[in-house]
Amino acid sequence: MSDRERMSAERSDRGDRTEGQLDQVLGLLGEQLIPAPPLSEQLESELADLKPAPARRPGRRFWLVLPLSLFWGVAVLWMLELRPDLSGLPELWLSLYLGAWLAGFVLIGWAAMVPRAGSVMPNWRYAGVAAVLAGAGFVAAGLLFDRHVPGSSILTERSVEGFVNRAHRCLTWGMITACVPLALGVLALRGRVPVGGYWAGAGLGAAGGCLGGLMLHLHCHIADGLHLGLVHGGLVILSALIGALLIPLGANRSLSSE
Amino acid sequence: MERYCSGEAAAFRELYAAVAPRLFGYLLRMSRDRAQAEDLLQLTFLKIHRARGAYVIGADPVPWMYAIAHRTFLDAVRKRKRSKVHLSREGDEMPEAAAHISGKPLEDVADRDPEVTRAALRALEELPFKQREAVVLTKLDGKSIAEAAAITGATPGAMKVRAHRGYVALRKALAGMVGA
Repeated sequence: MSDRERMSAERSDRGDRTEGQLDQVLGLLGEQLIPAPPLSEQLESELADLKPAPARRPGRRFWLVLPLSLFWGVAVLWMLELRPDLSGLPELWLSLYLGAWLAGFVLIGWAAMVPRAGSVMPNWRYAGVAAVLAGAGFVAAGLLFDRHVPGSSILTERSVEGFVNRAHRCLTWGMITACVPLALGVLALRGRVPVGGYWAGAGLGAAGGCLGGLMLHLHCHIADGLHLGLVHGGLVILSALIGALLIPLGANRSLSSE
Repeated sequence: MERYCSGEAAAFRELYAAVAPRLFGYLLRMSRDRAQAEDLLQLTFLKIHRARGAYVIGADPVPWMYAIAHRTFLDAVRKRKRSKVHLSREGDEMPEAAAHISGKPLEDVADRDPEVTRAALRALEELPFKQREAVVLTKLDGKSIAEAAAITGATPGAMKVRAHRGYVALRKALAGMVGA
């Protein structure tokens, strides 16, 4: 065996020994349970006045939030009226789009609010990923798959001012629709997202945005791709961003330090 | 947990006796300051107590409790704006630093191989915060990568990388210290 090979073998042997020693020490440290200090006076006094907490059933709560939010969406739609070109639009396109909005609302809302079996915290990671996918998907779908009824649908003027004016109205009513699921979601998530609150909030916001998009799809007869994609699809992104900023504050009030 | 949520104070004490040592160990290893870890533990349990209505019947409460402890620790670090001091390599002298990683006087831990244990503790202390947290959760507290990721709010991939890098850094530091 050459000197080089011998040195390499020695190094490898020393490395294995170090790893073994490290594993042993980490195992030893991990096994130790450190005696915790006694309960503080504040905790003792709160325990003296302990009241039963109502059992939380996130699934059941979600099925309460869902119809209430849908009812609110229908109420907003009733205030604003159905789009006049509804009967002339391709049925398949209309129903697929409506199904996508509804599925987005239900599935992302479920991921943001309902934990997996055996877990206290919701699937905030799935909710966050779903929010990003839904935002990108609805923008792309709007830009690529627009349909209109000649003479009945409106196509936006190709000017920034005209686009912004029409966008402003849709975004306002879309957010008004989204605010109810957002508010109900905050109540449902209180104390449950010590980590991942931004993502859970984005998910809940995106779910609300999908409900807003569903409502707009049945109300707004501005039918060009730019409006559908950037405004109706953009509503999901806007709502997700608002949810990500607001939900952690509201949902984690009970977990804030003081 | 279910009995505690239904209003049994004795059940809370049982829960505290079972979980507090683990959370205390975690907070101690992260904060490296016994007094601060004790405060954080009390604050963590206060938050758990106030948010007990969030518990889902039949669920495992431990990851949720760890996540609250993690958040409490981060809040404290941010609030006091002392994280850089605590995490810096050549930071201010910290009282009983070596003992605090394990929570016991070093001699109690280092029965088997004092030199290696001391070196490991010193190396663990010097790891960057995120790597130290990953090593503490996965190697010391025995959490899986997925559990550790759920507790800290990281992705499993990021947690795996942090734990691996932390472990490699520990091994290198240990080889250097012991070999020196």
